[in-house]
Amino acid sequence: MAFAWKAAGITYNRYLAVAARVVRRSLKDDKRLQAEKRGEMDLRFAKWENGKQGESRNLAEANEQAAQPHAGGQ
Amino acid sequence: MNSLRIARSALRVRPTVTRAAKRGYADVTPDKIRLSLALPHQSIYKSQDVVQVNIPAESGEMGILANHVPSIEQLKPGLIEVIEEQGGSKQFFLSGGFATVQPDSRLSINAVEGYPLEDFSADAVRNQISEAQKIAGGSGSEQDIAEAKIELEVLESLQAALK
Repeated sequence: MAFAWKAAGITYNRYLAVAARVVRRSLKDDKRLQAEKRGEMDLRFAKWENGKQGESRNLAEANEQAAQPHAGGQ
Repeated sequence: MNSLRIARSALRVRPTVTRAAKRGYADVTPDKIRLSLALPHQSIYKSQDVVQVNIPAESGEMGILANHVPSIEQLKPGLIEVIEEQGGSKQFFLSGGFATVQPDSRLSINAVEGYPLEDFSADAVRNQISEAQKIAGGSGSEQDIAEAKIELEVLESLQAALK
């Protein structure tokens, strides 16, 4: 099965996240407020080299930057 | 003497075996399927006996009954219908995931988000559809357009379910 999102360079994980985000936004207000909290992710990571920690970066931003050249090159 | 001692210890051991009924195939009554429907944050059904489950698989809409052949199905974002023992049926809209049928009539469905239909707002769906259509038809990055298309797929399925 060739999926359109796969051809566009989106991973299954990201596909699930996008679908879940849409479902959360479609809820009625009271349920939506609780559900939106599940969609928030604030992860930071840092690369270690030679025993020294590199700069701490936001995971979501890093993923976006990493995805751009791939999508642009298609 | 020895044999008497052995016989006595054998008598002591036996009572426990008869009490705990050994689980056999017949425990899951042949016309029920044991459903576990789980989201990361909530367990909607936990090994509960139901009669039938209709799932929106990528390969097509399927109805899972007892003694279904073991299979793994990827789910489209869509409506799951659970027909319960008492005769009522419940519907949930799932955002996507997998359904696994195991031998001896056990069905495990995993999804990221799932809600009954009454929790959704038709207005919110309509607004999101128009926004997603704008992005999908626009000139943003391929990534954004692909994501907008995913959103449209989910939203159209949701809108159809809400009618």
